[in-house]
Amino acid sequence: MSRLDRTRTSAHQLRPFFSSQNLLNRADGSAQFDFGESSVMCSVIGPAEVKLRDEKLDKATLEVVVRPLVGLPGIKDKAREQAIRETLEPLVLSGLHPRTGIQIVVQTMKDDGSILATAFNATILALLDAGIPLKSILGAVTCIVDSETNQILLDPTTQELANAKSTHTFVFDNKSSITSSPENKDQEEAVEVATLYSDSTGLFSEEEYFECAQICYKAVQAVHGFIRTAVQKKLEKEQQQIHS
Amino acid sequence: MATPAFTFTPSTFQKLHPAEFFRRFTTEGVRPDGRLLDAFRPTTVHHGVISTANGSAMVRIGGTTVVCGVKAEVAEPKLDAPDQGYLVPNVELSPMCSSKFRPGPPSEQAQAVSEAINRVLKESKVLDLKDLCIEEGKAVWVLYVDAVCVAYDGNIFDAALAAIMAALKNVRIRKPTYQEGTIKVSGGSTATDENSFTLNLARTPLSATFAIFDTTLTILADPNVTEETISDGQISIALDETGQLCGVTKIGASSCSQSVMRDCVQSAKKRTQQLRDIMNQQ
Repeated sequence: MSRLDRTRTSAHQLRPFFSSQNLLNRADGSAQFDFGESSVMCSVIGPAEVKLRDEKLDKATLEVVVRPLVGLPGIKDKAREQAIRETLEPLVLSGLHPRTGIQIVVQTMKDDGSILATAFNATILALLDAGIPLKSILGAVTCIVDSETNQILLDPTTQELANAKSTHTFVFDNKSSITSSPENKDQEEAVEVATLYSDSTGLFSEEEYFECAQICYKAVQAVHGFIRTAVQKKLEKEQQQIHS
Repeated sequence: MATPAFTFTPSTFQKLHPAEFFRRFTTEGVRPDGRLLDAFRPTTVHHGVISTANGSAMVRIGGTTVVCGVKAEVAEPKLDAPDQGYLVPNVELSPMCSSKFRPGPPSEQAQAVSEAINRVLKESKVLDLKDLCIEEGKAVWVLYVDAVCVAYDGNIFDAALAAIMAALKNVRIRKPTYQEGTIKVSGGSTATDENSFTLNLARTPLSATFAIFDTTLTILADPNVTEETISDGQISIALDETGQLCGVTKIGASSCSQSVMRDCVQSAKKRTQQLRDIMNQQ
């Protein structure tokens, strides 16, 4: 089956990822993450001084600013800010930097669907680049259920999103382990999936929701692997620079 | 005989260690307010509470009260959708309802709830916007759906969504006539079936919210404001009358296994059915 963007042949295929870290020289950390033609840039400043009103005595305050591709931020961006902040807050070891602030700015660069998932991935790369201590890393993927074929399509483009019956974005951390119970070993469903963040809209059945979660969970493993490689490459490069 | 050097009254303990205080209850399977972990607070729905609005409702879930009014106005349609009206939901969390909220522009929470409700209404196709067309390309109805929270005690999403759906069901708009560029909306003292129309809602999504407490993943149905502040995350599930899902949101710290999510969906099915019964009988 060929997808609408013509570069992919399978419904469960992600678009090619791309990432680069340390792009902005005035921020403490920055990263860009692309899913095909969707691109998000993220910068991290901190731990730095925080407004007195937002100061927390025992931990760092996270501030997330989401900027849209064009125009001024609307309520959609505010909702995304809340989603990103509340997902990251428990991940960041904020107790190590009490009474400071960590500012995260998320800017959409190119929009071709799955922006929230792209933003999550860019944010985690930027936090890693800034050297903010984290409990675990996360990976995000979006999928849709097509309104005509009822097929689950991973990492949809804008065009595919327009045909969606329901849209699902999932975030998984790299701690959630695969536990296969012995009684249903032959089934693939033995994967126990633990969701960190999930957002689904549209009309869908319970089975569709859990199937989407399973498929996204498998796809996120590739994103986790990619993030790991990206960090590894960056550290190797830094090591070389120190020794040369 | 050793006496404890330092003792608390329960209320002091609650203030000093709210989470630990709460844990003492949840390990016994109850909550400080006497509810079981899976129990929702008493809910009431009143229809048509604002006589000057086209449709209105008031929903009370425990200590949370939301009043919703729908006002219909005539507006010009968008160029790219000349036959579609507008549905503009808005949730207001003013300082009146809780000291948590400051005066000024809408808080992040208010905007996030408004956006979540907007998406449920739009993505699950509750109302065909073509029904709001008066004259294609010239005039359409715009429905301002304003939900105002008058008392905040947690779980604003469920209360606001229920109030908005009840108010939309309650809407009655006078039939307009379009003649040579002017729109006339028939007057008269009482709205009857001849001179007015009601909205044709495809489905009624209602939601159930659960808080996730502790790493043990204790699930608390219908969290109140204290439970919201000490919990690590929330799960909101919206369902229509056929049991079809209209939206699922899981946010916050603890990773939630699929079995927990499944339990929540089952519980949400029961709860939304119960809420639907309350809404229909009153």
